Parts: sequence; structure tokens; C-alpha cells
Amino acid sequence: MSDPLRSLWGVFYPAGLSLRVVDLRVAYSDRGRVARTVLDIPAFEVAGAMQVALCGPSGSGKTTLLNLLAGLQRPQRGTVHWSGVELTALGQGALDRWRRETVGLVFQQFHLFPGLSALANVLLPLRFTQWSIEARWKRRALDLLERVGVSAHANLQTLSRGEMQRVAVARALLRAPPIVLADEPTASLDLDTGRLIAGLLCTLCRESGATLIVATHDVALADSLDASYEIVDCRLRPRLARRADVEAVVA
Amino acid sequence: MNPLPLVTAELRRNALGCAAIVALIALDVALGVAVTAQERALREASARAADRFDLVVGAPGSPTQLVLTTVYLQPAALELLPAGTLAQLAQEPGVAAIAPVAVTDSYRGYTIVGTTAEFAAAGGITDGRAFAQEHEAIVGSAVQLPLGTMLRPAHGSPAENMIETHEHDFVVAVVGRAQATGTPWDRAIMIPIEAVWAMHDDVHGHGAEGGPSTPARLDTRSPERGLERVPAIVVKPRSMTDAYQLRGKYRGHDTVAVFPAEVLVPLYALLGDVRELIAGMALAFQALLIAAVVLVIVAALAARRQSIGVLRALGAPPSFVFLTVWLQGALLIACGVLAGAVLGWALARGIGAWASARTGLSIDAAPGAAEAWLLLALFVGGSLSATLPSLATLRVSADRLLRLA
Repeated sequence: MSDPLRSLWGVFYPAGLSLRVVDLRVAYSDRGRVARTVLDIPAFEVAGAMQVALCGPSGSGKTTLLNLLAGLQRPQRGTVHWSGVELTALGQGALDRWRRETVGLVFQQFHLFPGLSALANVLLPLRFTQWSIEARWKRRALDLLERVGVSAHANLQTLSRGEMQRVAVARALLRAPPIVLADEPTASLDLDTGRLIAGLLCTLCRESGATLIVATHDVALADSLDASYEIVDCRLRPRLARRADVEAVVA
Repeated sequence: MNPLPLVTAELRRNALGCAAIVALIALDVALGVAVTAQERALREASARAADRFDLVVGAPGSPTQLVLTTVYLQPAALELLPAGTLAQLAQEPGVAAIAPVAVTDSYRGYTIVGTTAEFAAAGGITDGRAFAQEHEAIVGSAVQLPLGTMLRPAHGSPAENMIETHEHDFVVAVVGRAQATGTPWDRAIMIPIEAVWAMHDDVHGHGAEGGPSTPARLDTRSPERGLERVPAIVVKPRSMTDAYQLRGKYRGHDTVAVFPAEVLVPLYALLGDVRELIAGMALAFQALLIAAVVLVIVAALAARRQSIGVLRALGAPPSFVFLTVWLQGALLIACGVLAGAVLGWALARGIGAWASARTGLSIDAAPGAAEAWLLLALFVGGSLSATLPSLATLRVSADRLLRLA
């Protein structure tokens, strides 16, 4: 927390937000017939600035849970609160705005825009609301790219997969969001690169004080975080209680 | 909000496909613009050419043929006016000036017109002087013959389908060059009507009278001055009232009098119909193209649902996503329409120059309001159509788009 960025950006953004999920339930209807329950989480809490892993086999609902936490998807039942903000109560516009300003997203497939340079990709989320980019944001983006070690004017086509994920991490952290959600950030990378990216993501989030929730298969990554949970039979349970300060309670 | 960097990046990525779409739209728009501009230019040029032909008097027959031959020097077998018509018209109080016009002969592809010195040199003489006697001629501005050329008119028209040609034993000297008029008369050699009479007196009977191959039969047997027969007389009335009176008076059993506009208006209508037809086809094609562009956008959207989902996930408002998608289509259409406009006007000018060279009409196709409206309509129609698929992006939630990836 001694990082200068933290103190600088902490002025605008509070430290990592805390999560409280209540009675969450998601079911998908199969061609309008039988509803298949995907998630059923009576309660789940994560304290601010914690780094938490969500594990579970493919199709267990990790991505769905991340979508719910990011406000990308609305549950059929239950509520998602981030430090008092109830996502399920926000309208679409307010939800978009909340996500834009509060959440940094990292995807398995990076989801960068190949026509744009590394710098333009990092700055893209600002274009949603700004006509021209203020100098301070540009500086911030350049700093981040320097931190992740990618040339700002690099052409996306010339980057390796690891480098692309670095750019994606820089994009997610541009606004120093109090929440960072990462969906399998290392799954499409080789082992060493994955380690590097995971370390980078954790370090940067630690520095900015963001709450980090990572859906991952990567046991090493899960073990390196403050807490890890797994989804089994639609329920969330601790994978391994690792630290005393885990404040999440799983019913 | 500024979607432009993303829009240009996406277009650049698909540069080849985009260029193909723009080229297709441009070619199609060019066709529509060229047809519209060209038709208007042709209409204006032909109307200008008829300006100094207030009233044309000829023998009963096709008024269209009379006007085409007299104004546009299209060779045709015109009947001759009764002897004395020329003298009679000259006596009319309402007549300011008359000029006989006889299109009978040719020389090296140039039409030879027999008329009066006043009419031939009405626009002015740039070089030399007007003809003063039977064996002199003046040439139009586009005739490639130097002053002093001695030429021997050949009976028959410059058109190659005339079977019978026959060189007269009659020599005329080019003594002057007329000012350019932007009409087919620029490509004519003008000789005194007396020369026509003299030539055709000499060779009287060379084309069996009434023979269809003879473009203009001149029966000039009346030896008495003023009673010679001519195929057409251009009349300049003193006033509008005189014009209508003369038209009425000479529209009878022996003669017909027409205002060129009477012939041109139905011709323009026909020309307009053809224009409508071609423009209609071009428009139908444009509609097809726009449909194709919309399909391309829809297909591209399907391919980019993932990108759209990512934008939404990153917090982009639906309006940003909409603008990004819409601008890509609208920019392509705008580029195509603009390039098509430039190409179309260039094409119209090219056709105009070609037609000018062939007809002598000075056809100057300039941009006009009709095309501007066409372009505007196309752009609005096109970009509206591009809106429909883009609107679909507003309705899909981000996680669904991501899931489809």
C-alpha cells in the first residue's frame, strides 16, 4: 500500500470494494423446457482488497458467477452487493457506468482490438465517455504498459499471446478500479508466461488495493491468492482455507 | 464519446473488403449520376442549338425530320417547298429575316449547307470574311480546312449509308471561318444557297426524283430568281405574335411551319423516359447494393459479436457500440457515394466530349441539383439501412455476446 500510484489513485477511488452475495440463484432453461440450475449460492462474502480464486471444472459456472459479480448478467434470484451498491437494483445505464468506473476485466482470450495499438487498446475504455484523452490518462497508460513490459506503440499483430495478456491487464487496471475480475487469465498461455502474468496481475492489484477475483484452473495461481473457492454442484465452497483472515463465509 | 479510433481501426483491418464495397457503390452511383447529368447536358445543348431557329418552314412531312435536318444538319430526304415560298415569306410583314437551308452535299465528311451569308455568319467570322459569291464558302469552327481550300462538293451526305455519291463539277473556295456556336453547324461548310441551285441545275436529274437514296432533292428548274425551290426556310419573326401568326399561316396544304421546341419537347420526353429507365435500373441496382452492404454489415456483426460483447463488458454504453457499428457502414456508403459522384461526373464529361465530337453539339455535363439529391437520398437511405443491423447490437446483453465468442 505504499505504492505512489495507490496514494495517487486512492484519492479518486476507495480501496478495494467488499462483496456480499445473498441467496443467488441462476438457472438456464434448455430450449424453454426444464430449467437447469447453474448456481445456487445462499451467501458469499469477500472483504475489500482480498485476492480470491474461484475454481471448479469447466462448465461449473465460474464464468457465470464472474458475470454476475461484474453486473454483466442478472440473476433470477438473489442480490449482489459491492460495498453497499446493489447491482441487481441498478438500471442498465447505471450498471454500465458502474462497471466502467469500478471494474477491471481480464479475459482468457484477452479480447483486445487488433486494429488498435497497445496504447490505444489500453485507452479504449476512456473513449466510451471522452472525446479526447487527457494527458494524465495517457501518462497512466504509458506507466502501466511500462510496468507490464510492452511497447506502447506495438502493433497487436506482432505481439505474443503473453504480451497480449499483459496489454489486457494494463487495460483492466487503467482506472485503478477497486474491483478486478479475471476469467482464466492464464489458461491460454504456457506455464511460465501464465505464472508471469498471474504474478503481474496480483502485484498490480495489491499495489492499487483492488479486490481481485480470479476464475482459474491454475492450482498454483489459486494457491498464491488469499483464498480459494470451488464450485461443486452449483454451490460455492472453500477449496482450502489458507489464511486466517479469510472473511468469506460459505453456507 | 469518441468511437472514431475504433471505427477507423476496424475499417483498416478489413481494408480490402471495404475497398471492394466502396468501389461497387461508387461504380453504381457513377452510372446513375452520369445518366442524369448527361441527359440534362444533352437536353440543354440541343435546346441551345435550336436557339436561333425561331420558326422553320418546310414542305409537309415529318416536322421532326425538318427540325433534325435544319437545326442539327442530320441528312434526310426532305420534300421541297413550292416555288415562290421563299419570296412569299420574304414579303410577310411579320418576318424580320429569313434564310433558306439546304443540306444536300458533303465534302470529306463535312456537311455542306446552302444558306445565306447573313445566316451562316450570324455568330461572327473569326477568320477571313463571309462568302460574297457562288464559288465561295465559309467553314464552321470545327472544320479542319484552311482558308483558301478549293473544294468540290459531293452530292450525298457524309453518312456512309448513302449509296449514291456524286462529285459536282463545281468548285468553291473557303474564304472565312465562323465563330464557334456549340452546335452541329460548327462542323459544316456553308455555301451560298445560289451555289446549291447552280450545282443542282447542272446535274439536274442525276438522282431520280423521289428516289429514296437522294437526301434532298432540289428541283431548281424555275429559272426565275425568287422562285427557286428549297427544302427548308428558317424564319425570324418580328415578335411572338408574328411567330404564331406565321406558324398558323404556313401550316397548310403546301407547307408546314414548326417551332423547334414542338419537336424537341416530345423528344426530351422520350429522352427523359430513357433516362428514367436507366436511372431506375441504376436505382434498383443501388437498392440491391445497399441490401448487400447491409448483409455485409450483418455478417460482419455476427463475426464481431464478440468484439461488441467485449465493448459492452468493458462498460461501453449501447450508444457507443451503436455508433461504432453504424459509422462503419455509413462511412463506407459515404465514401462510395462521393467517389461515385466524382466518377459519374467525369464519366458524363467523357461521354459529353465524345458526343460533342460526333454531333458538334457542345455538351457540357456539369454537376446539377438532380444528382445532388440522388446522392443525398442514397446516403440517407444507405446509412439508415445500416442502422437496422446496428440497432440489434443494443438489444443483446454483454454476457451473451461474450458467450457466443
